[in-house]
Amino acid sequence: MPATLLVIEDNPANMELVRYLLTHRGHTVLMAVNGQQGLAIARSSLPALIVCDLQMPVLDGYQTLAALRADPDTAAIPVVAVTAFSMPNDRERVITAGFDGYLSKPIEPELFVGQIESYLPAALRGPAAG
Amino acid sequence: MSEDQLLQLMLGHAPDALILSRPDGEVLRWAQGAEAIYGHTAAEVCGRRFDAMVVPPDLHEEHAGHMAEVLTTGAGAWESVRQRRNGSLLYVDVSARRLLDGAGKPLIVAAEKDVTALRVQRDAQLMEERYRELLDSTPDGIVMANPTGHIVIANSQAEQLFGYAPGEMRGRVVDELLPPRYRQAHVGHRSNYFLQPRKRSMGSGLDLAGLRKDGSEFPVEISLSPLRAEGHTYVMSAIRNISERKRFEQALQEKNQELALANQAKDRFLAGMSHELRTPLNAIIGFTGTLLMKLPGPLNDEQEQQLRTVQSSGRHLLALINDLLDVAKIEAGKVELHLEPVDCGALLREINATLAPQARAKGLDFMLHLPAETLVLESDRRAMKQIVLNLVGNAIKFTEHGSVQLTLLPGAALSAGSGLAGAEIRVDDSGIGIAPSDQAKLFAAFARVNQGRPGAPEGTGLGLHLSQRLAELLGGRIVVQSESDRGSSFSLLLPGA
Repeated sequence: MPATLLVIEDNPANMELVRYLLTHRGHTVLMAVNGQQGLAIARSSLPALIVCDLQMPVLDGYQTLAALRADPDTAAIPVVAVTAFSMPNDRERVITAGFDGYLSKPIEPELFVGQIESYLPAALRGPAAG
Repeated sequence: MSEDQLLQLMLGHAPDALILSRPDGEVLRWAQGAEAIYGHTAAEVCGRRFDAMVVPPDLHEEHAGHMAEVLTTGAGAWESVRQRRNGSLLYVDVSARRLLDGAGKPLIVAAEKDVTALRVQRDAQLMEERYRELLDSTPDGIVMANPTGHIVIANSQAEQLFGYAPGEMRGRVVDELLPPRYRQAHVGHRSNYFLQPRKRSMGSGLDLAGLRKDGSEFPVEISLSPLRAEGHTYVMSAIRNISERKRFEQALQEKNQELALANQAKDRFLAGMSHELRTPLNAIIGFTGTLLMKLPGPLNDEQEQQLRTVQSSGRHLLALINDLLDVAKIEAGKVELHLEPVDCGALLREINATLAPQARAKGLDFMLHLPAETLVLESDRRAMKQIVLNLVGNAIKFTEHGSVQLTLLPGAALSAGSGLAGAEIRVDDSGIGIAPSDQAKLFAAFARVNQGRPGAPEGTGLGLHLSQRLAELLGGRIVVQSESDRGSSFSLLLPGA
């Protein structure tokens, strides 16, 4: 069964890539270009998972995560950081901050959807699943 | 004027300290002269023990001896050191007698005369004769003080340092050369010093200052040494103005701070650069991938081939960014090793599992040779793995036919004289090989060999450079043996425990 996923990403080309991969797999993709917009959509649509960039204007990934976790409605939604910060301690920093997962850019398009779906309940992993 | 009044007048104005005490030391009378010399009033002293008031603690025993002598023989005269109410020390000439009170009980009357200035003069003369030339020939300022802390000689360097005219320092108390805030501690320092004189330095590690005659201060380092002469112990202080050194130290500290800031800026720049380069690469590699996955639709052969070129170029650029960051980290000394026991055989089996499929896909034999026994080295697992992955990856890349072999040799099997007794991890291939003229520059950054050779694959030009630097960090090195068109053999030599 396909899922509704929220992608928060300020770079249009990267947004298009992630949207394309996830939509092609059959998922519904909601889009936000910064953390603030992402929060509003998360609260109104309660997506099954959030893919979040870290460096963004207005509200960055860490602040967005904190706000999501502080709101009982969105606290339990898995949030996966997809970021071009890839120094060795970046993964540790991301996981310590409370993100459920960390994927570094450039993503591997052949593996990306599977990696994201691993954070979803089995029933929501793509059209053929269930 | 009555006889009694005249007597009072005489006692009151006697220039010396006249003191009447009991045999146990209790002071009964304390004339004005005593007050003038010692600073204690009669009210403060009478009824208390004389030695507790004015005899320095280390001289109590000597004082008791003199008193016993006076009580036994009826009289005595000697020279000694006393301590004033304010803690300063002075030399006195003592002359004492035993008397009997009306009840026939013994009392002691003593006349004590301050001879400090006389002593300084006498000592100064002695020191001038003996040491003047020697002292003036040393680069440091030198001040010699007697046991009461009075300067008996100062060399011209010391006079210049402290801003005094020649001879002007003589007779002054050495404490005057220190700012008031240090004096209290210094008096204690000095008294202790005479109890246990030995060579040592003051002010090393703490900020000690000298005080010039004009009141200005300058940073000093002082080293003290005892000097025995004529049965007395003097203290020689060698004083060095360390303003210049302090200035250098401060300049150095500022430079270090600047460097640290510059380093931080560089780190931020590198992290930022990495982030900014990866962001567009994400779209390039990503969309090339979606096209090659044929998600939007089928491709003809030409399109597919051209997209593969874009993809491999994108990956190449990514590898370059990663390697450059690694090199920058090594250059900056930022690579932290995590030393732990590493099972070399297990590590090579892991690498075998990762890369053997790649070799077989190219039609190469991939062979792993491990010794019968387990070989464990204290090393950094990640760095070791990165090096061996690079060497094996290169071997596969540069070999078109034949085999790639990965071999672990325990330290005992290493050639003697290598100086490394840990282990050798060897990668042999039957590839294109490296001409002897190229082998020397193999480990330099961006030094590609086999350039322009048809079919020679492209590398980042940093892999071997990085591997060699990492090997050095691990205390080892990489050596190469190769012959053009016969294959190459790269060995990672690692130190033992």
